[in-house]
Amino acid sequence: MHRGNVSLYAVALTVLISGLWWGPYALSAKERPGSPGIPPEKVAAYIYAVIKADRTVYTMEIVNRLQEKGVTTASEHWEQENTLMLPAQFLQQGGKLAAESGSGVRYRLIGLWPIYRRNAPASDLERNALESLRKNPDWPITGIVTSGSKQYFQAIYPDFAVSPACINCHNSHRLSPKRDFKLNDVMGGIAITIPLE
Amino acid sequence: MNPAHPPSRAETKWGLQRKLILSMLLVGVVPLIVGFALAFWQGSREIQTVNGENFKTLAEETARKVDLLVSDEVARTSRIAADPSIIHELEQRRDALLGMTEDERRRSVDELKGGWEAKDPTAVQAITGSRTAGLLQEYFSGAHSEADQLIPQVVRSATKMLYITDIEGTLVAALTATPPVANKDTAWWKGSFHHGVGQLFIEDVHFDERAQTYVVSISLPIMDRIRYGAVGVIHRVIDAKEFFTPSIAPIRFGKTGHVMLIDHRGIVISCPILPTGVPLSNVQLVPLVTPLHAGWVSAPSDGHGGQSTSIIGFAPVTETSRATNGDLSKGSWHTFVWQASDELFAPIRHLLTWMAVFSLVSVGLMASLGYLAANRIVMPVRRLQTAAQLIGRGQLLEPIDIRSGDEIQDLADEFNRMNRQLEAAFAGLTDQVAIKTQQVKSLLHSTDQILDAVPTPIIMVNQNEQVQYINRVGRESFQTILDSTQSIPLFDMLPLDAAVREHLRKEFRRVRNGENVEIASGAEDAFVVNRAHDPLAPAMGTAEPSNRQEIQIAERRYHYQWFHMAGENQGEDRIGLVFRDTTDDSRLQDQLIQAEKSGSLGTLTAGIGHELNNPLFGILGLGEAIEDEANLNRIRSYARDIVQHGRRMAAIIRDFTGVTSRETSDQRQPVHLELELDQAIATLTGSMDPSGLAIQRTYAGDTCVLALPDQLRQAFTNLLMNAIQAMKGRGTLHLSTSLADTSAITTIADSGPGIPKQHLSKIFDPFFTTKGQGEGSGLGLTVARRIIKKFGGDIRIESQEGSGTSCIVTLPVIPLLPPP
Repeated sequence: MHRGNVSLYAVALTVLISGLWWGPYALSAKERPGSPGIPPEKVAAYIYAVIKADRTVYTMEIVNRLQEKGVTTASEHWEQENTLMLPAQFLQQGGKLAAESGSGVRYRLIGLWPIYRRNAPASDLERNALESLRKNPDWPITGIVTSGSKQYFQAIYPDFAVSPACINCHNSHRLSPKRDFKLNDVMGGIAITIPLE
Repeated sequence: MNPAHPPSRAETKWGLQRKLILSMLLVGVVPLIVGFALAFWQGSREIQTVNGENFKTLAEETARKVDLLVSDEVARTSRIAADPSIIHELEQRRDALLGMTEDERRRSVDELKGGWEAKDPTAVQAITGSRTAGLLQEYFSGAHSEADQLIPQVVRSATKMLYITDIEGTLVAALTATPPVANKDTAWWKGSFHHGVGQLFIEDVHFDERAQTYVVSISLPIMDRIRYGAVGVIHRVIDAKEFFTPSIAPIRFGKTGHVMLIDHRGIVISCPILPTGVPLSNVQLVPLVTPLHAGWVSAPSDGHGGQSTSIIGFAPVTETSRATNGDLSKGSWHTFVWQASDELFAPIRHLLTWMAVFSLVSVGLMASLGYLAANRIVMPVRRLQTAAQLIGRGQLLEPIDIRSGDEIQDLADEFNRMNRQLEAAFAGLTDQVAIKTQQVKSLLHSTDQILDAVPTPIIMVNQNEQVQYINRVGRESFQTILDSTQSIPLFDMLPLDAAVREHLRKEFRRVRNGENVEIASGAEDAFVVNRAHDPLAPAMGTAEPSNRQEIQIAERRYHYQWFHMAGENQGEDRIGLVFRDTTDDSRLQDQLIQAEKSGSLGTLTAGIGHELNNPLFGILGLGEAIEDEANLNRIRSYARDIVQHGRRMAAIIRDFTGVTSRETSDQRQPVHLELELDQAIATLTGSMDPSGLAIQRTYAGDTCVLALPDQLRQAFTNLLMNAIQAMKGRGTLHLSTSLADTSAITTIADSGPGIPKQHLSKIFDPFFTTKGQGEGSGLGLTVARRIIKKFGGDIRIESQEGSGTSCIVTLPVIPLLPPP
């Protein structure tokens, strides 16, 4: 419960800080005449809040609770082992479904020491953002990126080791390049990408 | 046992020795077999479990290895897909395509397709010689790769095609000229591009026309530089056999044990034995070995064409399976570890064979030792058996000598003791038997002597009328010597006429059936004897000779008697026949009767003479007196006397003739008893002075009997006359009639002096009288009795000296008649 509380505190704190951080932006956007809609930073913040809340609920109320009660555990090969998926997998699975839904929004977990290469940073922005978030996880890193002629807004939020399931897996997986994560470490980031056209 | 009969199955005897050997064998062999079976069963189970677990582990290990192999290739391919130049090229191509109309796109594709398939050098050059194709080539050959990222030679040669498509599935760059241009409609392309989202897609094993072999393929989306969406797909076609064989084939154990890689449909991806692309020989096996977890199973077939029970270990290739056909639910790969059952169970079969060999040796040993042991046990028993036979025959002279120190020795001692006791008992018994036999013999002898000494013939007959014994007198009488070997039928032996023989035979049967013959015959005899004393009695028809127990044999007459002898010990009953020679007795009796008759006649003659003489002398005297008498009155007086005497004589003669001639008379008729009695007394009292006589009558009423009235009256007259004469005309005469059942009883009682005891037995004899000369003929009672008897009645005299006499007449009564 203690760990859960800590995680909750961390999440609440992050939401609060990001809210404070984005507050002036929202205000300034509102004040700007002739630009209707919501600034992408705010959209990303909303999306992040939802993702985070979902993942927190899943981690706290499902995985941790059931594990503590000895009902079941979470494991990587949950399909074969009839267990719960890991919180990271939960987030990625959600991101995959969101992408497949055709809405245009993308979000995924990235890290500097990914177990699978596909989760490594794809662009310089991502890599730099991860580097800076390691040092200062208080603020998300945002930017406009292009793919050919397409422009996208990208926000990278820090991702903390919110549950023992996270660090256990990363510290023991045979493909994991880094095995000394601790609870509440910044393990990587959540990259949210929104098309700008 | 009768040696003439061969012993039947049921009679087949199992000797003690055989039984002992058999039981020892059973005791040894049954647990041996049970233990054997249990050991084999348990051993088989353990071998199954141990091998199954080993196979499972091996399958898991191999699955991991395959996973690594595949993920290595995926990683190498993804490095190409992550190349910025290629991404840039494809981004541009995407942007260009997005700027084109549908028609323009189609036209450019068709153009490329035509040139490519026609092997137009320009078109081929555009695909295989482009900058992107050059990059592909560099990656493939390893020019751009670091040492640890080099594609191994094996993998390189296994890669049949490597090419890149754009977002429309159109070929962009390729290593060789073999790939098709348009891939938009292929499963792998759709799966990998995944509507622009992009995902790893590993295709199941299938036959590729262009590569001319069974292949698997890895398709990776080439994501744009920010990994937002797919800008193309890199597709790698790999010869499955060539790719997996180095990893799968070397894993061999024993002669047949190996690992294979199959997909979820049971299609072989790689196997050292089966060719790639063929399905497992038994479809039922597929669901058993393709669950999404590792395990082992005892399957009914081996998947390689064998139908023997097989132990199969299996495990899913988990990471790869996640991407096969785009999703875990759409396909999976599995490892399959198998070893031929023959080989698997060879050790335990060897063990079994050796155990069987040793068991046979043990059974042989058991049989031999059992034989020896059984022999040791059975030999003394056989000696005991022989001894018992000898004891049975009374021939055991030497005591049995068995020193086995066990129960059999005790038994032999018991036998010896029993033999001694038997000998002692038999000795006493023999003496007793001799004594008893002697006694029986002497008894028989004396019985014979007694029977022979009996002066009458005695014959013993069995139930079948055969003579079994005949005593000496019998033999002499019937001139028969009974031959013991040949029995003679009784009725053949006795010389009898047919009627008598038949009568005797009837009697014999009655005696044989337990009826008494003597009583009836005895009664007849008594009747005969009684009648013989009455010489005047008319013959009432002669009795048949057969009804008497007397027979005439030759010249001699025999009285005979049957007797019944119960047979001894449920033996046959015998009938005895005792004769008594009555020839002499009969003669004597006849003489006696004759004498009696002569005596009676003499008495009769004397009586008649005496009775008639007196009046005759009186008549003669009176006649002489008349001759000399002149006085007429006197003559008349004399003449009256003569007449009186004459009447008297006439009366005597009438009485006498009444005895003999009144038999023949009229028909009997109903008669009133009291009437006849009254007339009789009236007739009597009419000729005498009745003053001193008191007559008392007690009559029952009108009692009727069937009789001749004159004769009945005569009988009553005689009886009343006797009574009145006995009272000398003075006293009380009591007359009474009464009815009892079917009889009418008439009693005439006087108050006379009674009859002396010595006279009572003679009073019915003819001419016996106690009256003085001229008073009675002695025939009155005789006549009365004869009359009454003729009418079916009887007369009885009861008298006490000094107190009168009662004469009781019984007559059968008939229904009442109206008085005349």
